[in-house]
Amino acid sequence: MANDKLETYLEEISHYLSGRAEREEILNEIRSHILEKAASGGGGSLSDEAIAQAIAALGPARRLAERYAEDRPIIAPAYKRYLFRYTTLLFAIHTVLIILAVIFRESFIIFPILFVPRVSPFDAILYLPMAFLADLGLVALVLYFITQSGKDIALPWPKFGLDLDEVKTPRRRFWSIFGAAAGATIMLAITSFGLHLLARYNTIFLYLTQTKEPRPIFTAAAGYYLSLIIIIFFAASTLTLAIKLFTESRWVDIVSNAISLGLIGLVLRQPLDNLFAINIPDKLFSWLKPTIIITLLIIAVTIAYQLIRDIVRVSRHHLQK
Amino acid sequence: MVKQTPDVGTLETEMNRGFLHILVLSLLENEMYGYSMVKHIESLGYQVEENTLYPLLRRLEKNGWITSRWDLSTDRPRKFYSITPAGRAIRASLLDIWKTQNSILDRVTRITKITKENSNGQ
Repeated sequence: MANDKLETYLEEISHYLSGRAEREEILNEIRSHILEKAASGGGGSLSDEAIAQAIAALGPARRLAERYAEDRPIIAPAYKRYLFRYTTLLFAIHTVLIILAVIFRESFIIFPILFVPRVSPFDAILYLPMAFLADLGLVALVLYFITQSGKDIALPWPKFGLDLDEVKTPRRRFWSIFGAAAGATIMLAITSFGLHLLARYNTIFLYLTQTKEPRPIFTAAAGYYLSLIIIIFFAASTLTLAIKLFTESRWVDIVSNAISLGLIGLVLRQPLDNLFAINIPDKLFSWLKPTIIITLLIIAVTIAYQLIRDIVRVSRHHLQK
Repeated sequence: MVKQTPDVGTLETEMNRGFLHILVLSLLENEMYGYSMVKHIESLGYQVEENTLYPLLRRLEKNGWITSRWDLSTDRPRKFYSITPAGRAIRASLLDIWKTQNSILDRVTRITKITKENSNGQ
């Protein structure tokens, strides 16, 4: 029974020391100590209670195993700053390749670092967060190997790119509150006007003619679908600005940008062929189609950039605490 | 979230790291096994956490400052440790540092005491 307890404890430690060459030696050392202490406490005999007390004095298996691993951090403190800097740069390259993959309908491979498949604009939006995680993992892996090598390697420190170190808490000023209040009021007016147009004409995309009634730019179904998305976007912006009157939390921007990204994805899903209710010359349409897609993609990338930057900043802020 | 300030216990743990190095290297002038070291240190009026001592012994051995051998002649196998010449050199250096630090602290404390007494007398 006493032996069972001891073996279970050692097995647990062995699990946490997995991969260490000196594991057997450490386990024998701990076994010897426990038996010695238990015998000393129990007057020479190894009782259950004495073994349990000796184990309790050493503490939980995981914590004991951690003491042996103290000198081996996953990423050395000196390299921690490089993790997000290098990830940002790699992600920037990744994003450019994703945009090119969408425009040219080609896949790109930079073996073994990057693989960007041929993706549609909507897939590209979903692909971006995965690309970021892959880049983060790759950089972490490289820094892990550098740390474990124990060599003092001087890594370059690029000064351009996103500076995530400058985490400044926005100051609450009169003008920022005034701006949010004014913005919320304007956005509320636009949202209400949009809803009014949608209720009356089933679309917000209209053009004025010589006749009294305005005419829809898009076909009925597409017009309604796109109008609904735009109104949701305006409503979300109104709500965001209203919430900003009461809080400075970055989470407001994160949620707002995530919603915007999702809405742009829904817009990109709308097929552009047979979209217009008005007559557009083929030559103009062939130019208009890629222009719309590229514009939406640029907006999506900008929002994704802000979204990821805010998530990283919030995460770092919590880690610093 | 309130920022936690380290208490005496945390600072003591940090201070103990260096002290324990010197203490263990000094004790191992005579060959000893782990548990006998724990008992010996306790008899000196100092408590050492067992889960700190063994990882420390491993690190010292890895650095070549102590050496070990298993004694299998008794009922319970015991691992005996002893200091190496490299360990003695390190111990001497650490003791020098410790003495210098002690003397600095002593001087600073005396100066502070004198300054306080003078200001109280005025």
